[in-house]
Amino acid sequence: MSAAAVTWGIAERSVKLIPRVPSTFIPSLVMPVFLTIAFSGPFASLVDLPGFPADHILDWVVPFTALQGCAFAGITTGMGLARDLENGFYDRILMSPAPRSALLWGAFVATILRAGIALALMLLVGVVSGAHFRDGIVGIAALTIAGLGLAFAAGAWAIGLALRFKTQQIAPLMQTGVFLSTFLSTAQMPVELMTGWLDDVASVNPVTYVLALARQGFLGDVTWAVTQDGLLALGGMIVVLVAFAYRGMQKVIP
Amino acid sequence: MSTAAQYLALSRRSVLGTIRTPIAVIPSLTFPLLFLALNSAALNRSIQLPGFPEVDSFLQFMFATTVIQGALFGAVTAGSSMATDIEGGFFERMIAAPASRSSILVGRVAGVAVFAFGQAWLFFAVATVFGLDVEGGLVGMLGLSLVASVVAAAIGALSVAFGLKTGSSEAVQGAFPMAFAIMFLSSAFFPRALMSGWFLDVAEANPFSYLIEDVRYQVIAGFSWSRLVTALAIAGALFAAGLVLSGLALRGRLKETS
Repeated sequence: MSAAAVTWGIAERSVKLIPRVPSTFIPSLVMPVFLTIAFSGPFASLVDLPGFPADHILDWVVPFTALQGCAFAGITTGMGLARDLENGFYDRILMSPAPRSALLWGAFVATILRAGIALALMLLVGVVSGAHFRDGIVGIAALTIAGLGLAFAAGAWAIGLALRFKTQQIAPLMQTGVFLSTFLSTAQMPVELMTGWLDDVASVNPVTYVLALARQGFLGDVTWAVTQDGLLALGGMIVVLVAFAYRGMQKVIP
Repeated sequence: MSTAAQYLALSRRSVLGTIRTPIAVIPSLTFPLLFLALNSAALNRSIQLPGFPEVDSFLQFMFATTVIQGALFGAVTAGSSMATDIEGGFFERMIAAPASRSSILVGRVAGVAVFAFGQAWLFFAVATVFGLDVEGGLVGMLGLSLVASVVAAAIGALSVAFGLKTGSSEAVQGAFPMAFAIMFLSSAFFPRALMSGWFLDVAEANPFSYLIEDVRYQVIAGFSWSRLVTALAIAGALFAAGLVLSGLALRGRLKETS
């Protein structure tokens, strides 16, 4: 069996597990929808603040909740891996002659496929709720790159943790990492309107630049300057977190 | 052993059990403070919006919400602990003992109420370090912590009802986001004066909006008996509903066990 076939087999199994164990995946779809309501409802008047970059709160909130949905869908791959490691199923896979890198890439591909479901749902929520896709298909492409890229990084983080701790009890740490990295960014406000410590933290948080990449098509035209910063931030996060997952895979013993 | 002594012993067990399980305590202590820190830094400029109540900072506006949110987080442990008692067989031993049936409920509910009261003062100490000024002074803070206790008892009773009904701690934890959602669909995080459309209608129909606004008044404006009584009445009504439901669930569980 080729490495590509192993990778696809692992990814396919992960996707097939969604309807079999829906309790692990459904919350990652419900949460971003709920957050869209929770943030756009009460904070609608934030757009009246001088300097706020959006005319409608949904244009500000939907890209953020879409990214968060993608990231949370991504970490469900890590949760599934932790379950397989805990119940011993993954030991059998590790003892097979399949290359470990193919096993890992199978999980990464699954992460992106799962995030695709969350992204499609959030695009639908955006259309139904009345968010403005100002730069049309180009803006949607920017959101897609940002969402799937962030899911890849979040999935690598979760997979790295699962391989190190081999227990489902590590799930809260997977979620906390995603929760903190997304909220310590421009999730609620642009950097210019923040006060105190959050301004400094958000300025150096790579998720801020990924969010800018995702939001630009909702706020106006997609520009190369914003796209470039977003891609660089995504690339940096993915390289570091994939290396983290690789180290975990190298160390794992059946 | 008198009924009062049974209530006291089981309440003590509930509080100690909560404190000795850091994994249960840490989220209810840290998450509300984390939300407070994030929202205070992110949304502080929003207090300049026309129609926003007069406050020193968003920290001051948000503090009452944080206390009630902490009470909600902590209260769910009552239901999940009850379900754990059922799963582990302690519940069966309790009903085999010559103990009052009501003490099973009272112990759990009183435990989370005491925890919420202490937690409110802990939040007050932390927020004061970061510049919180409670306009109602210590009396206002006492009122806020009393309301937090009753809210915790109410949500604790509802979660105990759910724990008794399902006998699964996972199911209780899974239902908790409902309580969180109810809070988000109120004026807990932003003033009603700045809301519009369907969200305003939902927030106006949500009793949590009035409860939070009345305890927030103690923090941002000054102590008010009438507002405190209103907040206590809303929390008390919720508590009464929780007690009825948990009583019915206990009766159902006892029938099932015997």
